[in-house]
Amino acid sequence: MINFDQVTKRYPSSHEALSNVSFSIEQGEMVYVTGHSGAGKSTLLKLMTAIERPTTGTVLINNQNVSKLKEATLPYIRRKFGLVFQDHKLLYDRNCYHNVALALAINGITGTEAGKRIRAALDKVGLLGKEKSMPITLSGGEQQRLAIARAVASRPSILIADEPTGNLDKNYAADILTLFNAFQQVGVTVIIATHDALGNVNERNKILHLDHGKLVAAEVSA
Amino acid sequence: MKAWLTQHTQALNLVLRRFKTNKLSTLLICLAIGVTLALMSTLYVVLDSVNGLANRVKSESQMSVFLALEHDADAVATIKTALESNADIKTFKFVAKQEALSQLQAADANNDVLNSLENNPLPDAFFVQPSRLDADSIESLSNNLSQLDGVDEVVLDGAWIKRLNYLLALGNKAMLIMASLLAFALVAVIGNTVRMQIVTQHTEIELSRLIGATKSFIRRPFLYVGALYGLIGGLLALLITFAVIYLFNQSLAPLAAEYQTNFSLNFPNLFTCAITCLLALAVGLISAHLAVTKYLLTSSQ
Repeated sequence: MINFDQVTKRYPSSHEALSNVSFSIEQGEMVYVTGHSGAGKSTLLKLMTAIERPTTGTVLINNQNVSKLKEATLPYIRRKFGLVFQDHKLLYDRNCYHNVALALAINGITGTEAGKRIRAALDKVGLLGKEKSMPITLSGGEQQRLAIARAVASRPSILIADEPTGNLDKNYAADILTLFNAFQQVGVTVIIATHDALGNVNERNKILHLDHGKLVAAEVSA
Repeated sequence: MKAWLTQHTQALNLVLRRFKTNKLSTLLICLAIGVTLALMSTLYVVLDSVNGLANRVKSESQMSVFLALEHDADAVATIKTALESNADIKTFKFVAKQEALSQLQAADANNDVLNSLENNPLPDAFFVQPSRLDADSIESLSNNLSQLDGVDEVVLDGAWIKRLNYLLALGNKAMLIMASLLAFALVAVIGNTVRMQIVTQHTEIELSRLIGATKSFIRRPFLYVGALYGLIGGLLALLITFAVIYLFNQSLAPLAAEYQTNFSLNFPNLFTCAITCLLALAVGLISAHLAVTKYLLTSSQ
């Protein structure tokens, strides 16, 4: 599903964010990308989602080489992913319903079908009934759940979260990780970047540990 | 097709919602555009009306072809034939010297000088109305006529027609320059407004790009913003122009009456109204397109 082969990412400042990284992720896996701040986790996720292109090496997403794709086709690649950001990236000038609707509109899903999917997504994250609430009135955990609802509403096959619990207290963080586990149970590939200690790792979860841009460990938890 | 239409409807609804939320600022921007466009359309209407008046005056003007006092008996017939076959002449009239003197005497019966004349000092004359009224055509016709046998002098109102033509050409050029400058100003105003909106919606745009929005998806609402600003501005410009012409005509009527004319400024016709709105819409679209494209080119991803 996702293959990294000898991938290096060097920024114009000649800072090497990733160095010779190779791994593969299969459909339905739960993957944790760990490492300290600056280890290259965010760069790895940007390469996966075609936000960045590798300097050398190959990134294959569903057997499509991201490096060789035309810029105009990149948005269609990104639609395969549901993205959750540490800072939520919610739109505070519109309510919960319209925040989720944006992702569906981008995917060309509108009208009744969109309405059904928005309610289903909000239901999954426990926010059904808060469609008309403005994000600013939600707690930090609820805001992150709203961001997850937006990410899953278009039913992506891969869910990617960059430090999804970074700004949350322990209780909220546990809720969010439980939610990700639930998505993985129904066949969604979940990739989470985190620098937190892993306390919620289940059996058969894959862990990619980065250190200064190098993949120092790729293991499946026992 | 349905999805495409739905996306357009959504973009339009979004823009209308934002207009509704920011009523005052939207109105002020539209007014600024409307006033700028009104300057152009009012100038056009004034020039168009003056052009109409000038053409009317010019069409009433004529050229006097005076024959020599002593000319061959068949000179009048020869000149008449030449005038009839000249395509640059709309109509002409022959006034014999005796008829001219009679008219003069009839106009001023008590003029002793006229009555005391032993010989008729007036020449036979043709009064010619040219079919083309531009300065060059008139000058060329005058030269041709003065070369005919028996013609002594051709007197034309060419000098003032020439001046009038130059003035009108100057006016038209001034209008074109003004229109171009104002169009640039409009592009700047609308482009800057759209750019400000892009800045305020930067988060939404960046998020949309991250989650798979195409450039056209991002561009669409801003194009509607530009087009709507242009269209509303165009409609306001027409309203302002109609009001200005109405007020101007009210003041012009007594002055025109003094000159025994019914001159007034013409209200823009349906075609002019449609063209104004379409041009305004196009300028709005182009400005917005330039602003968004510049942003998309310079921003990341």
